[in-house]
Amino acid sequence: MKISFKINGQETTLDVDPQMPLLWAVRDELKLTATKYGCGKALCGACTLHVDGDMLRSCSIPIEYASGKNVTTLEGLPESHPVKQAWMELQVPQCGYCQPGFMMAAAHFLQTHPNPTDADIQTNITNICRCGTQSRILKAVKRAAELSKK
Amino acid sequence: MTEDKKINSRRNFLKRGAIVLGGSMVASYLGCNPMRRFVAQTAEGMDLPADISSFNPDFWFQILPDNLVLLKSPKVEMGQGIFTGYAMMAAEELNVSMEQMRVEHANTASGIEDALGTGGSNSTLSLFKPIREMAATLREILKLGAAAIWKVPVAQITTQNGILQSGAQKMTFAECVAATKQWTIPKTPALKPASEFKYIGKDVKRIDLKTKVMGTAQYTIDSHFPNMAYATMLPCPYFKATLKTVNTAAAEKSPDVLKVVQKDGWVAVVAKTQYAALSAAQKLEATWDVPQMLQQAALEAMVTVGKGTEVNVQKVGNAKSVLENGAGKVYKQAFRTPFGAHAPMEVNGTVAHVTKDIAIIVLGTQQPSITKSLVAKALGINKKMVDIQIPFLGGGFGRKGMMGNVVETAQLSQIMGRPIKMMFTREQEFQNSFYRPLTHHVLSAKIGEKGDIQAITHDQATPDEVLKFVTGSTLPLKLLGADFISAGHGASLLYNIPNKSATVWGTEIPMPVGIWRGVGMYPNTFAVESFMNELAHETKKDALDFRIGLLTDVNDSIAQRTKKVLEVLKEKSGWTTAKPAGVGRGVSIANDRKSIAGSAVEVAIVEGKIKVLRVTQVLDVGMILNPEGIRSQMEGCVMMGISGALYEEVTVKDSQVSMSNFHEFPMATLADVPDIQTVILANAHEPYGVGEPPLAPIAPAISGAILDLTGKMLRQLPLKI
Ligand code: FES
Ligand code: FES
Repeated sequence: MKISFKINGQETTLDVDPQMPLLWAVRDELKLTATKYGCGKALCGACTLHVDGDMLRSCSIPIEYASGKNVTTLEGLPESHPVKQAWMELQVPQCGYCQPGFMMAAAHFLQTHPNPTDADIQTNITNICRCGTQSRILKAVKRAAELSKK
Repeated sequence: MTEDKKINSRRNFLKRGAIVLGGSMVASYLGCNPMRRFVAQTAEGMDLPADISSFNPDFWFQILPDNLVLLKSPKVEMGQGIFTGYAMMAAEELNVSMEQMRVEHANTASGIEDALGTGGSNSTLSLFKPIREMAATLREILKLGAAAIWKVPVAQITTQNGILQSGAQKMTFAECVAATKQWTIPKTPALKPASEFKYIGKDVKRIDLKTKVMGTAQYTIDSHFPNMAYATMLPCPYFKATLKTVNTAAAEKSPDVLKVVQKDGWVAVVAKTQYAALSAAQKLEATWDVPQMLQQAALEAMVTVGKGTEVNVQKVGNAKSVLENGAGKVYKQAFRTPFGAHAPMEVNGTVAHVTKDIAIIVLGTQQPSITKSLVAKALGINKKMVDIQIPFLGGGFGRKGMMGNVVETAQLSQIMGRPIKMMFTREQEFQNSFYRPLTHHVLSAKIGEKGDIQAITHDQATPDEVLKFVTGSTLPLKLLGADFISAGHGASLLYNIPNKSATVWGTEIPMPVGIWRGVGMYPNTFAVESFMNELAHETKKDALDFRIGLLTDVNDSIAQRTKKVLEVLKEKSGWTTAKPAGVGRGVSIANDRKSIAGSAVEVAIVEGKIKVLRVTQVLDVGMILNPEGIRSQMEGCVMMGISGALYEEVTVKDSQVSMSNFHEFPMATLADVPDIQTVILANAHEPYGVGEPPLAPIAPAISGAILDLTGKMLRQLPLKI
């Protein structure tokens, strides 16, 4: 089935099984690989992206849901995005695998929490990192909030 | 400087380290092979299998046309920052900026094979001298090249930021390479003294930072070849089960399926898309022969002190006799740690592109050399035809060393005649893996009438199948098994107690176990250091001062460095300040890979659960390479340590791991982040390992804090109140 949507601002049409998870469509069909597979069950957040401004775990959303909508992946955030800048400044990544998901979660979170406390971040961002970058992520989200105001 | 060799730039291939100039290699000799030395030190006097004792180059340098320096690394980057460390070492001697350094994984077809793989926190130390010597040699080669071009004495030439200079004349390294046909190889120059270091010891940003923030870093799962198909395996649901029957009809009819392949007792679905393969695999109907239904309790019973083969690994004085005779009190306790899952965020997997000329294998592995042999054997081809290409690893923790799916993926590519990507599902990653072994520990101490510790014994029981998986059973397990991996790390007691002994009870269990971040040290430190906390409590002493009081031997450098770590910990953690109500404090140390780690923690009980409030982490790394990199490893260890102490546990039911995905294997999250303070000490002359040692003291420090708070000792991981 043909499904049309916008990916990082560009119109695209895919001819795929409408039930294919958005994750695989973005990664394998569109070759945008920042969005990662971690669990396939909406548990880890590695596949986090935005659809029409909503934050979604793309492993558990069928591609047909994106039809006619705007999908944004980490590749779609500019290098100057406060989240990316804060992540650079605080040198967050270790292996880096979980980070795109965390950054997409943070970018969405900051839109509704311009002045986040640790507790806000802790209850709203529930992604998983195995390397143990959590303490830097907390700092980076707060730093990104500051940078957003500049 | 003596010039001892003229090398024509077209044909010299080298051993050990290598330098590539103008598209060809220039030889250089490095002295004792560092990997070999490491093996030799670890496995003293053993006959090593050929695989481990013959070496190709360990790494090489290349000057790229845009005046960048490329270092091909034999050790893999799995988050620990080794690329950055190597770049610093090289930049230091080459006199180039960090921005000019590029580091990539060596692929095995280019000649680099590191038979030991990456792990055991030895990557920095093992190449610390060789990389600098090689970089210094390269710098001098370039200076000699420039001297010949400009016809000036080499002593007049200086280097800075990748530029050669003599008076007003300047040329980049790359220009020198382009203009030189014949190279002169000097003897290995003297290395910079520490007082002249420009990078080593300073904070440096990791060189893979930007690619990992922008999302362009490539992992196995991101690799792609034209015409590639996707495969998924029918997972074997039970340990050591064999496939009895499988009905593939429904799967074969599933949309976009190309083929259902059955081979050597396994079944895989190959399809046009990942989704099609995963959906079709759900439709396979299989029955299995299960040799025995294993249960958790039975496994624990097998791994119990007193069962299996007994190997004494430490004997000082006569602990047994002191325990059994004379006045004083015997204090004895038992501890257990569970099976552990690695749970790297990136699942295992392989992308294989097998043609008649070459088998290109893309996978994040900690063991490229072993992987290469496995593939050659499985495909029935010469090892020279296999090229292992390694992208970034999305976490290793020991998991990316064995029991992946490289053989099956390569075979599928051969059968299908096209490139194949086959990733584990998260469920397979949890259930078709190997695990950190569960352990059982019994510790006994003789407490004299004045509260002095006269003797301690530590008996550890652990399954010892670890090396069998890693090396394909070629290493003499009886000699090395327990000793090398598990017992060798943390089983012995470092405190200066007159009578002490450590014994390991090795046993085999019908379940795959293996390497895990700091595998032996992690359980051993939990047991030994928890027991030390208990002994302090029992003798009514401060847990930190109690330890310092047992580090009395001034000739024992490890003991003295440990004492220093404890003193710094005491000061930096505010150990002697008044404790807030409802807060407990605990301490622990760990000594491994010559690094000494110490943790002091504060915990509270919040809504019936243990909450870690503060962690002060002190690490004596010997010599500091990149403080920023070390801090990030320490913070990571704090979080993984909290995760292991409070949540993580793999259990078995009916020959199956009970945890299938993250909902059944909770790990620490942002909500568990304590206030973390890290302190790095440097009290030796070489950079020791930082990836594993700081992990071990976290759990016993937490249980010590619970003891302090509640008077109750928790002797089993994860800690449950
Ligand atoms: S892969 Fe989607 S939440 Fe884990
Ligand atoms: S950085 Fe490795 S999993 Fe988060």
